[in-house]
Amino acid sequence: MSPTKTSTLAADAITLAHRRFIVAENLSVALPPGRVTAIVGPNGCGKSTLLNGLARIHTPAQGSVLLDGKDIHTLPSREVARKLALLPQDNTAPEGLTVGDLVRFGRQPHQGWMKQWSREDQRAYDEAMTAADMEQLADRALDTLSGGQRQRAWIAMAVAQQTPLLLLDEPTSALDLGHQIEVFELIRELSAQGKTIAMVVHDLPSACRYSDHMVAMKAGEIIREGAPAEIVSPELVEQLYGVHCELTHDPATGSPLLINVRRASAR
Amino acid sequence: MTLPDKRTTITNIALFVVMLAAITASLAIGTLQLTPTEVALALAGQADPMTDLVVNQLRLDRTLAGLLTGAALAMAGCLMQTLARNRLATPGIIGIDNAATAFAVASVVGIGVSLAPSTMALTGAAVATALAFGLAGAKGTRGYRFIVAGIGIGAIAGSATQVLLSRVAIDTANAAYPWTVGSLNARSDQSVLVLAVGLGIGYLALMGISRALNTLQFSDPVAIALGTRLRSTRVLGLGLSVLLTGLAVSVCGPVGLIALLAPELARTLCRPGKVPLTASALAGATFMVTADLLGRTLFSPLEVPVGIITAIIGSPYLLWILLRPSQRSPT
Repeated sequence: MSPTKTSTLAADAITLAHRRFIVAENLSVALPPGRVTAIVGPNGCGKSTLLNGLARIHTPAQGSVLLDGKDIHTLPSREVARKLALLPQDNTAPEGLTVGDLVRFGRQPHQGWMKQWSREDQRAYDEAMTAADMEQLADRALDTLSGGQRQRAWIAMAVAQQTPLLLLDEPTSALDLGHQIEVFELIRELSAQGKTIAMVVHDLPSACRYSDHMVAMKAGEIIREGAPAEIVSPELVEQLYGVHCELTHDPATGSPLLINVRRASAR
Repeated sequence: MTLPDKRTTITNIALFVVMLAAITASLAIGTLQLTPTEVALALAGQADPMTDLVVNQLRLDRTLAGLLTGAALAMAGCLMQTLARNRLATPGIIGIDNAATAFAVASVVGIGVSLAPSTMALTGAAVATALAFGLAGAKGTRGYRFIVAGIGIGAIAGSATQVLLSRVAIDTANAAYPWTVGSLNARSDQSVLVLAVGLGIGYLALMGISRALNTLQFSDPVAIALGTRLRSTRVLGLGLSVLLTGLAVSVCGPVGLIALLAPELARTLCRPGKVPLTASALAGATFMVTADLLGRTLFSPLEVPVGIITAIIGSPYLLWILLRPSQRSPT
């Protein structure tokens, strides 16, 4: 994989609102370069909103999102697209679109009026297909793939964009265990190649296992931030999800593991 | 995404050939039956005066008007479908055709305004779009509100046209009638010229934003993530759709179904993932010329307006398209 330049992405005191309803106020967060950051929290805590804010899908009512120190909304859209790729939750595609054609869309920010499909585009495309292990499926229509394969195809498109930053909104939400692992391991590989990654993850144990940095949100606020092994505690879990649990460590990987999870009111 | 795309190229070439055949037929068939060779000779200026008059004056003008209006309506339809991400959202369905007609009829029957039909039709198209857009609220061209608002506006504009026609002298109403159902009979040379210029500009502009238009087939977050400036692309696309529809309606009236049928056909033939603007234009031009040819020859000397022919042929085809099960099979 070709070396990617690094870029930094941070939110500086942003307030995010849906119409007049404020979802999150005064959030500041910086993604540690070259690491995988997981944003966790209960339903409706604003984690997807934060990710969409970072990805400039959602314009903050106040504050600014800084890409390499500059306000992301003042930068040309294509320039941003060469530094930041996004895997959104709603990823519907035109009927009959093939994997190869989808992944080629990832090269769009690098092309221009005069600049047609170049050798560099082809190389980036090949690398992305290899990284996501999609070569065999290049000519298949997306709607004929399994959920895990489809998700890998979308990640391949984001990889073909060759951006130093990659944001993923619940990349494994509708997948079974095998497909989840498939996607998470791909994310780890991309991180090992130097990408800075942030992802919204629903499942706390997966977030512990596959992230280096964790941002825990509740009711629109960031309540803890740090390495999973340091911040995940029975207290935090109760605060986030209103459940009691005990904490141990995965004997194989050492990542925090929740056991004996039960409703808080049951005790 | 621009990889050499064989399927689209082949489709465009094939559609172009079919279009040439339709043009030839349109020039050859009529009260005076000609062979393709005679047509070619006439076009080269080497025919007898009678043939020369029929081909180069009568039929060529009409065929050109058919080509231009068909191409413009089809491209406008393809564009509007893409912007609304809904195959039903053509300018005809959301009332733009009707509004353009109402305004143009107003100028023809003369209610104190003497603006050229082109200008009036454009104004009507723009007013209808702005109204539909405004009534749809924050959701923009997305979702059913835009379509439902447009259908309402189209109905109002349609009845306005009827009211206008019912209040003028019978001769004026008769003169305007073929045009309100969609016909190439009531065209003015000036409107055709304006349409030709508008179509040229519109086509070039659309090719300029075709890459951005392609990304609009995905959800908004995906389009933004790929670097598309959503708002400016939408506004420009909507503006071009209004321009093409307005100018075409000022020539032929509301031949709405072309905008629905041609892009459907183009989409079936072309490679998925790209907005098939060129193929739509070629298919639309062919549909229009063929339908007009049928209209003026089937019951000759009686002439059936082209709008009625497209409705008769188009409606079953449309039903078939909408009701057929998805045909994409695993490859």
